[in-house]
Amino acid sequence: MATSASPLPGGQRPNIPSAAVRFPAVRSYEQVDNEIAGTLRPTLGWFAALGIAILCLLVGAATWTYQIHEGLGAAGYQPPVMWGVYIITFVFWVGIGHAGTLISAILYLFRAGFRTSIYRVSEAMTVFAVMTAGLFPILHLGRPWKFFYLIPYPNWRLIWPNPKSPLVWDVFAILTYLTISSTFLYIGLIPDIAILRDREKNPVRKSILSMLALGWRNSDREWRHFTRAYLFLAAFATPLVLSVHSVVSFDFAMALTPGWHATIFPPYFVAGAIFSGIGMVFTIAIPLRKAFKLQHYITLNDIDAAAKLCLFTSMVVGLAYLTEFQIAWVSGNKFEQDYFWNRVFGQWAWAAWIMLICNCVLPLSLFSQKLRRNTTWLFILSLFINLGMWFERFVIVVPSLSHEFEPWQWGSYRPTWVDYGILLGSFGWFFMWFLLFIKQLPVMAMMEIKEVVPPRFKHGHTDPHDLTADQIDPDQMGVAH
Amino acid sequence: MSQDTLKTGDKPTGVKRREFLKVLGVTGAAVSAAACSEDTGKLIPYLVSPDETVPGVSTYYATVCRECISACGVIAETRDGRVIKLEGNPDHPMSKGALCARGQAAPQGLYNPDRFRTPMVNEGGAWKAITWDDAVTRLATAVAGAKGKPSVFLNQHESGSFPRFLDSWLSSMGLAPHLSVDAEADQAAIEANRRSYGVAWPSLSFKDAKLIVSFGADFLDGWGAGVSQSLDFADARAKLDNAPRFVYIGARRSLTGLNADEWIACKPGSELSIANALAGKSSLEQAATDSGVPAAQLQRLAAEIGANKPLLALSGVTGDAALETALAVAALNQANGAVGVTIKPAQPVTSFEGIASTAQVLNAVEQMRGGSVGIAFVRGTNPAYTLPKSANFAEAFAKVPVRVSFSSFPDETTELCTLIIPDLHSLEQWGDAEPLRGTITLQQPAMDPVFPALKGSTADALIAAAKNPVGTYREWLMAQLPGGKPAIAAALPKGMMAGTLPARPTAPAAPIAARPSPASQGDFTLVTYPHALLGDGRGANKPWLQELPDPVSKVAWSSWVEIHPETAQRLGIDRGDVLEIKTATGSVKAPAFPYMGIHKDAVAIPLGQGHHATTAMGVFNPKKDAGTVQWGYGRYARDLGVNALDLLPVASNAAGGLVLDGMKVSIAKTGEHRTLPSTEGSARQHGRGIARAIEAAELNRPEQEEHEVLPGAASAEFLPGLRSPVAADAQGELGAPTAADQGKLKGMYDPNDVRGMAKRRWAMTIDLNRCTGCSACVTACYAENNIPTVGAAWQNATIWADARAGFNIERGREMNWIRLERYFEGNPDAKFGEDFETRFVPMMCQHCGNAPCEPVCPVYATYHAPDGLNVQVYNRCVGTRYCSNNCPYKVRYFNWFGYGEEDRKQYAFPEPLNWQLNPDVTVRGKGVMEKCSFCVQRIREAENRAAVEHRDLHGDEFTTACAQACPSRAITFGDAADPSWSVTQLIEDRRAYHVFEELNTFTAVVYLKKVNHSAGAAAPQA
Amino acid sequence: MQGVLGAFHELDSAIHAIEDLKKAKLGDITVFTPTPRHEFDHVLEHAPSKVRIYTLVMGLAGVTFGYWIPVWISDYWPLVVGGKAIATWVPFTILGFEVMVLIGGLSTVFAMFGFSHIPRLTMTVGYDPRFSSGHFGVWVETAPEQADAAIELLKKHGAEEVRRER
Repeated sequence: MATSASPLPGGQRPNIPSAAVRFPAVRSYEQVDNEIAGTLRPTLGWFAALGIAILCLLVGAATWTYQIHEGLGAAGYQPPVMWGVYIITFVFWVGIGHAGTLISAILYLFRAGFRTSIYRVSEAMTVFAVMTAGLFPILHLGRPWKFFYLIPYPNWRLIWPNPKSPLVWDVFAILTYLTISSTFLYIGLIPDIAILRDREKNPVRKSILSMLALGWRNSDREWRHFTRAYLFLAAFATPLVLSVHSVVSFDFAMALTPGWHATIFPPYFVAGAIFSGIGMVFTIAIPLRKAFKLQHYITLNDIDAAAKLCLFTSMVVGLAYLTEFQIAWVSGNKFEQDYFWNRVFGQWAWAAWIMLICNCVLPLSLFSQKLRRNTTWLFILSLFINLGMWFERFVIVVPSLSHEFEPWQWGSYRPTWVDYGILLGSFGWFFMWFLLFIKQLPVMAMMEIKEVVPPRFKHGHTDPHDLTADQIDPDQMGVAH
Repeated sequence: MSQDTLKTGDKPTGVKRREFLKVLGVTGAAVSAAACSEDTGKLIPYLVSPDETVPGVSTYYATVCRECISACGVIAETRDGRVIKLEGNPDHPMSKGALCARGQAAPQGLYNPDRFRTPMVNEGGAWKAITWDDAVTRLATAVAGAKGKPSVFLNQHESGSFPRFLDSWLSSMGLAPHLSVDAEADQAAIEANRRSYGVAWPSLSFKDAKLIVSFGADFLDGWGAGVSQSLDFADARAKLDNAPRFVYIGARRSLTGLNADEWIACKPGSELSIANALAGKSSLEQAATDSGVPAAQLQRLAAEIGANKPLLALSGVTGDAALETALAVAALNQANGAVGVTIKPAQPVTSFEGIASTAQVLNAVEQMRGGSVGIAFVRGTNPAYTLPKSANFAEAFAKVPVRVSFSSFPDETTELCTLIIPDLHSLEQWGDAEPLRGTITLQQPAMDPVFPALKGSTADALIAAAKNPVGTYREWLMAQLPGGKPAIAAALPKGMMAGTLPARPTAPAAPIAARPSPASQGDFTLVTYPHALLGDGRGANKPWLQELPDPVSKVAWSSWVEIHPETAQRLGIDRGDVLEIKTATGSVKAPAFPYMGIHKDAVAIPLGQGHHATTAMGVFNPKKDAGTVQWGYGRYARDLGVNALDLLPVASNAAGGLVLDGMKVSIAKTGEHRTLPSTEGSARQHGRGIARAIEAAELNRPEQEEHEVLPGAASAEFLPGLRSPVAADAQGELGAPTAADQGKLKGMYDPNDVRGMAKRRWAMTIDLNRCTGCSACVTACYAENNIPTVGAAWQNATIWADARAGFNIERGREMNWIRLERYFEGNPDAKFGEDFETRFVPMMCQHCGNAPCEPVCPVYATYHAPDGLNVQVYNRCVGTRYCSNNCPYKVRYFNWFGYGEEDRKQYAFPEPLNWQLNPDVTVRGKGVMEKCSFCVQRIREAENRAAVEHRDLHGDEFTTACAQACPSRAITFGDAADPSWSVTQLIEDRRAYHVFEELNTFTAVVYLKKVNHSAGAAAPQA
Repeated sequence: MQGVLGAFHELDSAIHAIEDLKKAKLGDITVFTPTPRHEFDHVLEHAPSKVRIYTLVMGLAGVTFGYWIPVWISDYWPLVVGGKAIATWVPFTILGFEVMVLIGGLSTVFAMFGFSHIPRLTMTVGYDPRFSSGHFGVWVETAPEQADAAIELLKKHGAEEVRRER
């Protein structure tokens, strides 16, 4: 049994993954353990990446310290644009978070096969993205040291936050989402941690893993309740994921600012969030798959399927954009019309068109199966999607505020280095956690893959793998014959 | 500059308890002993008997404002012995309780951080702080040394007895009499008045006019007696349909011009031929060709003048032909029944008497250049700045061996002097004025000197320097006043007394030969004019006036060049492109401001900016430079913009006034670009009905009441009165005439409402027909509410941040709780020759019944008080700024930096400016939102007073700072739930409307439409 | 606690072994499997997990609490904001929902812990690291006298290794 990371043990040749056989190149439970647990060995490249991430984080931290001392004026705010890069980035990261829960929960309920290989990565991504997003509402406060005023903590003055304010809804939604998604991630991890525990030789690591595994024994009783609980958590997480981004969209939809005051926002934001999240999944999973030599787990079929989902959400988002314009047009509301004209053809055209091209035009390429299965293109596209979705939030936040009811107070917006420093820091913070994760815990749910990999049989079962196909590069695995 | 740093002993000290009690003591003594005693009061509080004077309660002193020629009577509000605010004296015929922006800013002169704190002497090029007594001895020796030699004394023109005192002192010292200088005075108009009416300045009555024609006379921008004129003008306009029409003739449309119903844009300098033509002295065709104005238009105007007597025509021309024009206009007045009706020589504004002409000043300069002058004095005035560079004042001044300055600020002229004995501020010293013939206004010190090292006023210094003491200046002054001690004692509380002062020695009226400006070539004609707020530049060191956007251009902390959009387009000049303006005598660089209100062949530059130090000094650094002398007129004025006088040749008109416009200039793009620090977003309303107007003809047709009903918007029909913020009302179920209750319910503002939440609904009406856009209300708000100024170059972040004056203004971070929006109507393509209309809208927190800002605040930092106020709780605010995002009126302002924290470079109140802070109002900290509070501190004060006196509030018992200051009485504040307040009537006015009514915000601020008087029956605009 | 532990490499043999063990009634059977397989559920015929009851009850408790917080907060200090009613239930639905998910979700997890007796501090007898990796384990809790029968049976079905444990 190959313990190396070589994808094709014993020179056996794979063939086309199909609904029946999803991982043709995976022959046995042991192989799963060996290959996936094998990815945990730290490499030089990993240390380098981690170093860079931490550096970016430090830059961000220093910038924030400076901003706290100096006051928010250090950032590029230009009233009436009272919200800027921070809120934009907040919504951006919350959006990223959503794909994870979608893939792990919703696709779980739908029993979508391609979820198995990528859900652990995306779930981790979710948790870290929400951790990142959670910083920004505090970060953009005028008096961040007073952020706890927003939390209904018991205090002897009995002063409470205002439950009518969308920002308080945010506090509830984000905290719930963070708790539930991290719980979901951890629960899914328990059996895998048990596997690591049983493989581990080093006593120190072993004891830590034993603690994390909570003494999991793979007994039938454990599995019975585990699967049940997992199902219900998924059932909770599904409406939660929809609600969280709806609540985030209320931050805008509840205001009467032209361009914000729209009933379409909740569905529009959810679709956008999932779209951006899948983009980020590609950005992360495609290099990971190469670096960890897991092409025969994250097969092109899985990627293809995810790409279709990406295409779909992209079109939903595009539809939302068009609806917005159309509503403003037929509404006859002067403020709305002026604003949208200014957004698309005026002052902010450049941003609006970056958004439209990245989010609505480029993804159309995914209609071609060739491109859906071309990981290089998908990676490039995913970068464009991330950019486009950041600009979508920019286009929602800034142009609306800069072009409101009162013409005398129309303005513009130009971020300063402080905004960019903190933006960079947020990426550093996210990737630091993610990189630490992928070398400490398995990036794939071994026990779930084992569910798919056929077990050994003594008799009555023939080997499902036929070995007629030619030896081909794993990346090309499953290209239609 | 180390020599310039002040000894710590010279730092201003707070009022010590003993001093404070002393103040109160004499106060008491004053009133009790008012009748007889020789020691009759030093300080006499206004209408407040001392036993009521307790710490924390204001004491009011009536005194005189010295910020411009007019000398209005004002009331200084003092708290614990410190002046904290100036307000107009309601009983004073000049100010009638109002006060302009410049007057409001006087305390920032008193507490200016760059005021000299000790006398100083220049020895070997280095400045050294000396004691007051030492300075006086040096003065005495200098004067003794100069005996017999010719001397020059340039004194800031002021009304009252001091000039006479000064001349008597000078003659006793064997020195020449002084020149009373004021660079803002329109000497042509004064001379013309003398010749035509026999007085320097008759009072004007706009009320009694049927037609007002102004030939460049900017009577709302500081020309003449500002406050009283705008009060009267507003009253005239308030006559609605039978108000006088106002036609403005000139090359540049000033603030006054923007208030006119019609602008006749003539070529610069062609006013004379128009005036002559209208007076029938020459043909209209001739005038039309000279001025480039269509003859038909002049024809119509001539007919109109004939039809509407009495006329009020004014001339404020500053070109070569200024005097001739002024005389022609006077003739026009005489021909059209103005004299005695709209122009009242019988009630002269005496403060304009005795102003020396610029020609005389220039002669003095030449005399100094001759080298014979032994000693020269300057006090208050700043010739090194207010004379054109081409006059080479500095070089001539340097020829005088001893140069003494009595100025309080390190201005250009003072920097050239050898000895500085700073005068006390007018709020610290005794004095008097006679602004109107027969009304003597008494100037009593409202507080002890801010800087104890300054032992006395100029007068005291002079007396001390003259070895034979004549007692104190106060004693001398009291002897001058009619009626003797008892009369004075009786007069002081009111600050006024009847009677006249002995006529002052008018300067030798030697016939002045006009010195025409030399022929110059260029494609454009230059127009320069005194800045409406900074005046001739004396206002430039007061941050309030720098921060306050110019009423016309809305630019702050900077100079600009006005150029017509057509011309700008033709030359490819964008807003903010830095232009170089060249004449034969000099050149300046300033950013372009395309402006419809300037003749297409002219460029205009305001005066007042461009102060510079002779010794090289960089941008002020609050960390390093605090305590050093800030030459160049102080940290707030130095190296800001340009001084347009650098362009001008030394030319004077027949009245001896400096020629400010008419010379040819060439303009060139420098390629640089500078974002104008302007508060203007869009100058157009885009049909959003914020500032509405109605044609006078339409007024009496209420059923024709038009409204901007935006498609898809909620009911925009004006619902009379102010309604409550309750859910049912928000749904429109209450209050609307169409509603089930027929609009009878007033929600929780109904005094009988079972919820009993409130007895009051504080509300405000703003009459756009009265508002002239002068912006006095804005400064009043800054003074009352401790609003920080944010435009100084050093008030930005520290690392990699622009240190550029006005940077925060460019970024829209100004904190003006009340702002003046200036919207243009008509002439959408800014074509020259097509007239346009201007509407000014004071915009502050509307205190909405259903305030959008409230529900979005996560911490209840803003909520609705039971008496209808939308309150902001600074301590609770965490700074999410969501409220501002959700405010349709954009009237919430955020503290981007720690403007109120002493240890920060952004600190807006450097010692001793912080002495002016209103103790009743919090100085907001970093990172919190703030906004107009309807002067809640005044509301509570009044309520408490009423409670203590066991009574209810009387109608119109008090008002907000903006309403109180407004020199055109446009703002009315009161309780809409109590009919005894006049605001309740105004709310029901036929012109009333809410801004953005379709948003169902139910604002507490009601605007009254402006009334237009277009020539002929024009279509109503909105 | 004592019994016999058998480790199988093939799924079907484990299944058949369990079937026979049940017939032989040698004692309680616990199955260890690297991944949940329905085959075991069929042979073991366990009742469905009761976790869901906790989910339902605590979920309902959560939504109630989630509504109560904002209503109480608003009524404690009745401040008028934006002319809205003091306690507005419509927006409070959002808080109700979030708190429901939070409490419901967490209690589900804790119920699961409770039912499956984790966290457990020690690996009790009858566990082998192989079971987390590739092997299926069958643990028969039986008295020593019956142990031999059990061993016999497991061996017959081709257990890779069989051992007594106590």
